[in-house]
Amino acid sequence: MLGWIDDRLGTASWARSGLRKIFPDHWSFLIGEVALFCLVVLVLTGVFLTLFYVPDATEVTYAGPWQPLQGQQVSAAFNSVMRLSFEVRAGLVMRQIHHWAALVFVAAIAAHLLRVFLTGAFRKPREINWLVGIGLLLLALAMGITGYSLPDDLLSGTGLRVIYSVVIAIPFIGPYLAFLVFGGEFPTAEIVSRLFVFHVMLLPALLIGGVLIHLAILWRQKHSQYAIPGATEHNVVGRSFWPTQVFKSTGLAILTAAVLALMGGLVQINPIWAYGPFDATTVSAPAQPDWYVGWLDGALRLFPPIEFTVLGITIPSPFIPGILLPGIAFGIMSVWPFLEARVRHDTAEHQLLDGPRGNPMRTAFGVAGLLVFVVLTLAGGNDVLAIVFGVPVEAMTEILRVAIVVVPLLGFGITYRICAELRRTRGHPMERAPAVRLRRTDDGGFEEIGPE
Amino acid sequence: MTAQRGVTLALVASIVASMVLIGLYLAGGNPQLEGIGLAIALGGLGAAIVIWANALLDNRVEAEERHTLASSAEQRSIAREALDPEQISRRRFLVRLLAGAGGVLTAALVLPAFSLGPQPGSDLFRTAWRRGIRVVDTNNRPVRPSSLPLDSVTTVFPEGFVGRPDSQTLLIKVRPADLELPDGRGAWAPDGCIAYSKVCTHAGCPVGLYRAREHQLLCPCHQSTFDVLRGAPPVFGPAARPLPQLPMELDAQGNLVALGDFPEPIGPGFWDMTHPPPAES
Amino acid sequence: MAAGLDRLNGPAIMSGPMPRLSALALVLAGTLLAFVPIALAAPGGSAGPRPTNDPPTLDRGNPATGQQVFAARCASCHGSDGTGTVNGPSLLGVGAAAADFELRTGRMPSSGAPGSQAVRKPPAFNDATIEDLVAYVSSLGPGPAIPSPRVDPATVSAGQQLFIGNCAPCHGATANGGAVGGGALAPPLDQATPVEVAEALLIGPGQMPVFSGLSDSDRNAIVSYVDFLQAADHPGGFSIGGIGPVPEGFVAWVLGLGLLLVIIVLIAHDWRREAR
Repeated sequence: MLGWIDDRLGTASWARSGLRKIFPDHWSFLIGEVALFCLVVLVLTGVFLTLFYVPDATEVTYAGPWQPLQGQQVSAAFNSVMRLSFEVRAGLVMRQIHHWAALVFVAAIAAHLLRVFLTGAFRKPREINWLVGIGLLLLALAMGITGYSLPDDLLSGTGLRVIYSVVIAIPFIGPYLAFLVFGGEFPTAEIVSRLFVFHVMLLPALLIGGVLIHLAILWRQKHSQYAIPGATEHNVVGRSFWPTQVFKSTGLAILTAAVLALMGGLVQINPIWAYGPFDATTVSAPAQPDWYVGWLDGALRLFPPIEFTVLGITIPSPFIPGILLPGIAFGIMSVWPFLEARVRHDTAEHQLLDGPRGNPMRTAFGVAGLLVFVVLTLAGGNDVLAIVFGVPVEAMTEILRVAIVVVPLLGFGITYRICAELRRTRGHPMERAPAVRLRRTDDGGFEEIGPE
Repeated sequence: MTAQRGVTLALVASIVASMVLIGLYLAGGNPQLEGIGLAIALGGLGAAIVIWANALLDNRVEAEERHTLASSAEQRSIAREALDPEQISRRRFLVRLLAGAGGVLTAALVLPAFSLGPQPGSDLFRTAWRRGIRVVDTNNRPVRPSSLPLDSVTTVFPEGFVGRPDSQTLLIKVRPADLELPDGRGAWAPDGCIAYSKVCTHAGCPVGLYRAREHQLLCPCHQSTFDVLRGAPPVFGPAARPLPQLPMELDAQGNLVALGDFPEPIGPGFWDMTHPPPAES
Repeated sequence: MAAGLDRLNGPAIMSGPMPRLSALALVLAGTLLAFVPIALAAPGGSAGPRPTNDPPTLDRGNPATGQQVFAARCASCHGSDGTGTVNGPSLLGVGAAAADFELRTGRMPSSGAPGSQAVRKPPAFNDATIEDLVAYVSSLGPGPAIPSPRVDPATVSAGQQLFIGNCAPCHGATANGGAVGGGALAPPLDQATPVEVAEALLIGPGQMPVFSGLSDSDRNAIVSYVDFLQAADHPGGFSIGGIGPVPEGFVAWVLGLGLLLVIIVLIAHDWRREAR
């Protein structure tokens, strides 16, 4: 059988190099794979959902089994998701697996990005893959936002309103761009079908293409590795692709699907029947987007009411937190490899990874950046946090406004000190602290020899 | 337990769970059981493969050489020669003309994208409120002050435009003596009935929460808070402009009618909001 | 280099953490235990016992007895004649509905500072005493009477529309409550009886606006929908608070990515090394 294929494609020669290719083994190198397998689950469940979804805002009368909505006018899109949830066998579990997979997908990308950053894996020759990865993160965010807006329910529709308002806030082109994308003044009937085209065709094409490029570059450059015994800048130490890594990765893929299936069946997510169809004249509280957009919403909540008109041009208050801030954040992330190389005068190739403590400055910046993101994400849920901690919403907001400045600064300082200290003592956090070693001197006294 | 037994156990669990899943589907399905069944079916299979990988395969750690990624100088010059960019770049005039043609063509090809949406025009500056239009509730019934209880909040629309999003308005009944409106605006709130645009001036969410005792409107999206008694200026949160107030009077039958459209654009700001287009007749 | 690899293939020093399986089990247990704060932190769920639909009988209380109880338990804040003090508002004209609502939900007597939001707690008085107090307070001046709402499943759909338009902005689409700013909370409605819901709509307790302008049928529809929500099950599984993406994101990280991180540590771990 393999001979039949080889006669036509000459595949055996690939097998020689490919099957025995060495990949380093460390659990932190599997985080990216978790993201990849979440994507596989998303595509598979997504195809199922697409076969039932109707991308149409035309009103129909709901006649399904969920009593509170019976007889009401809802969009065909909303109706199709209701039918999928209540009248299609396995519909609800597939929908919930899909949505949980989306949340975990972006979480895994974020964790993977953090690992790549803290170990310096973005350095030469991997700058291109870093940029591809940032692009994939943006595409994943776009997929998520377009996806959860498809059911045209009250919660996601409110989110679309906010996005529309942020776009409107862009000077000069804002209103034109918003009217172009939405097809007119919010709310429009066109937006549902346009989001569908992006979510099901255009963005997946870019995302899958990007993932293939990401993997191809990784394959060609070989994976980076930690400085374990035997590892150098000129080799790869690990285990072979076949059978070890293929088995492990296949097992991980199936276990990822298992975890997502467990969540999809046991934990309710996005109960659109409770929110009801989108209605631009009402809103439900609390109102949040999915977690990975929470940082943007939090920025909108924390930013002070600064709006000014200069030379007749108004800069509305959502512009700085909604457009400038993410632009700066992603800009810094994108140029970081080149910035760091310039600052450290480092043009060498790096195949060996730093541990986080290996570069205290980079790690400190990374932790500070992460803390900014975390505080903003928490700010996105400030009204829920206010209830959890029993404080007024206003107080919670003021606390977070202070935290967004203080916490990253503190984090920077503490992280730097910890990393520098660990480097100095060369201890590993999970081993016992190195004991003091003594040696008897010739004249009977004791002298201390430094830690090993 | 040996690895062999572990793999066997995991695969058997997976097979049983898959069969249960099939039966479950045929019997009508249940999301929780489907999720658990899938989790065991997949989990068993995945665990079996992982145990196999870790305990039954020859997992020697090996090393492989990394070859230099960059091509040699000789290979690069061969590539450069094959590419021979000079034969093209020599013709500078033609190259520039080509670039120009490509640029203009791209601009032309992009034009159909503008069919996606209309020009904003005056849409962001106007709602459906006009002078003389009656204020109606969500059932299209006119509203009179006597039918509004003190401390009530009602969503209202221009008559004939119930549900129109840009015209959604909050009608609040307060004690007239409590109002401290800016100059001239007091006349817009007959009998303590005061009306504001329901569209938040921050990011456009409906400002649905009303704290009756403190007479403050709260938007749930980003917690902008507006003081109803003073003309709805923002008192907390990221909104920077007051909610526009709808000018109203009473008609001969005692119903509330609008005196005109909102005096400012409703909702979130945009770059030219201080330049309204010339008023239409 | 071969010597280096031998060290990796045999019992040797590893650089990098060597997870013990017991440590991993702890992480797994911790991940699942994280469910607990989620369940506790959500502002009320709808898993509690359903309240009984037990309308109070009207006009049965004794105002004179009520006045005695009032003097002992209420006058310190509301004044001996109910006209109010610095600590509590006047009760003239609040009506039987207000008195019944506050007493039956245990909000009154308030245990918080004057002016703070009164919260639901076990009632301080038995039914008979409540009826007496209600009779006394309603004798202080004309006000809304205790309503007699009807729960009618046929009106649940109309009730849903009214609820989403009028109530969800504060109480949430799932009626699980929410913060409304200024330290005030719109409470969850899982324990509200039909009469209490109807009374609240009439009187607008605390920061709640007054919705007495609603027709009787509209009010009954809202009552019916709240009743439906209390009994409704969650087709998708655990509702984790029913307040949307905040707990969902928490679960995605802690349960989803948490479990997966444990799994990848187990997969990458060198099992044979530990066995040797």
